[in-house]
Amino acid sequence: MCSPKYNDDWLACPSCDQLYDLSEMQHGEKAYCSHCNAALTTSRTDIFSRVQAFSLSSIILMIMSCSFPFLAFKASGLESVMTLPQAVQRLHDEGMTDLALLVGCFILLIPAVLLVLSFAVSLSLGCGWRNHWAKDCAKIIFHLKTWSMVEVFFIGVLVSYVKIVHMATVVIGISFWAYAIFTITFTMTISNLDRYQTWKRLEELER
Amino acid sequence: MSRQSAASKDLSSCHLCLKLAPSDVHHCPRCGSSMHVRKPNTLPRTLALLSTACVLYIPANIYPIMITDQLGSSLESTILGGVVLLVQMDSLPIAAIIFIASVMVPLGKISMMFYLCWTMHKGRAATPKQLTVAYRITELIGKWSMIDVFVVTILVALVNLGQILVIRPGIAAVSFALLVIVTMIAAESFDPRVFWDQQEEQDD
Repeated sequence: MCSPKYNDDWLACPSCDQLYDLSEMQHGEKAYCSHCNAALTTSRTDIFSRVQAFSLSSIILMIMSCSFPFLAFKASGLESVMTLPQAVQRLHDEGMTDLALLVGCFILLIPAVLLVLSFAVSLSLGCGWRNHWAKDCAKIIFHLKTWSMVEVFFIGVLVSYVKIVHMATVVIGISFWAYAIFTITFTMTISNLDRYQTWKRLEELER
Repeated sequence: MSRQSAASKDLSSCHLCLKLAPSDVHHCPRCGSSMHVRKPNTLPRTLALLSTACVLYIPANIYPIMITDQLGSSLESTILGGVVLLVQMDSLPIAAIIFIASVMVPLGKISMMFYLCWTMHKGRAATPKQLTVAYRITELIGKWSMIDVFVVTILVALVNLGQILVIRPGIAAVSFALLVIVTMIAAESFDPRVFWDQQEEQDD
C-alpha cells in the first residue's frame, strides 16, 4: 500500500512533517527532530515489560489510594476525613454534578481506563498474542493520553495542604503516600508507552 | 539536513498512530482513523475555540470559585481574591503557584494561541522553529491551570465541620474547568506544520 521506499521504518515529525528513517536506531537511543527539536521516539527492546511492570504497580497503588483516608482535618474537637472517591462525591452533593463528573474523569476514570488498557496491550504485545482487540485498546489509549491529570492533581493536593495546615490539624493518611508513588508510576507508564513503537509492533503481529 | 516533508512526497501521517500513507487515502490503513495531510480547518476551528475560552474567562473571574462558611458568616472568594488573600496571609509561594497556574497560564496560553493564529493567517512565517517550539510549550502547560479547580475539590471535601467551618464550591470552578478544556481542544486542533509549509512556499 505504502510506497516501497517509505515503509514502517519511516516516521514524519508530528510538529513539522520532516521524514526520518529510523531503521538504524539502537536500543536505548532517543530520536529528536533536527528541525524543530520534537522528541520523536525512544527505541527500547524492553518497552512492553516496562509498561507491564509500571501499569500493574500503578493499578495496585490506585486501588490503595482510593480505599483509605487521604487527608483528615481536625478542629475544635470535630474531625472530617476525606478519601479520593468521596472528594468527587462531595462536589456532587454540593449540587455541582458537572464539576464532579469532570474531576472524576480527569483523576479517576481516565487514569484507570488508561492503566487497565495499557496493561492489556503491553501484555498482549509482550507475549506476541494475535488478537483483534489490542488495536482498539491502543486507539483509546492514545486518544485519552492527554486528558489524564494525575500529576496536576497531586500538585493541587500539596497546595491545599499548605493552604489549610495553619488553620487546624491536618493528618496525612496512607492513601496520600500511595497516591504520591502512584503519580510517579503512572507518569512512567504513560511516558514509556511510545506511540511509534507500540503501533509498529501492533502491525507486525498482524502479518 | 535539508527539509524533506512527508507532504512533499505525497504522504500523510496518521495523527493517532503515525503511520505514513499516500495522501489520497482517507482512512489510516493501520488504525482506521481518518487521515489528513494537514489538520482540516485548523485556523477557524482554533479561533472559534479560543473565542469560547475568552467568553468563559469572564464568569470564571467575576463569580466566586470558593465559599467559606465560618460560624454563620459566609466569605466568597474569586480566583484573584484568593491570590490576594494568600498574599495577605504571607503564604507567598502558594500565592505564586496559584497566580501562575490560574491567571498567567490561561491568559498566556490564550494570547499565545491568538498570536500563532495571526502569524499563520499572515502566511509569512519567518521562524517556523521558534513558532513550533512556542506552540509545543503552550500545549504542554495547558492542563496545569486545573490546579485551582483541584484545590477547591480537595478543600470542599476536607473542610466540612458542620456549623463551624464549611467550604463550598462556587460556580466559577465549573467555568474555569471548561475554560481549561476548551483551550486544550483549541491547542489540539492547531497544526504547526502549516508554518513549515509557508516557509517552503517562500523559499520556492
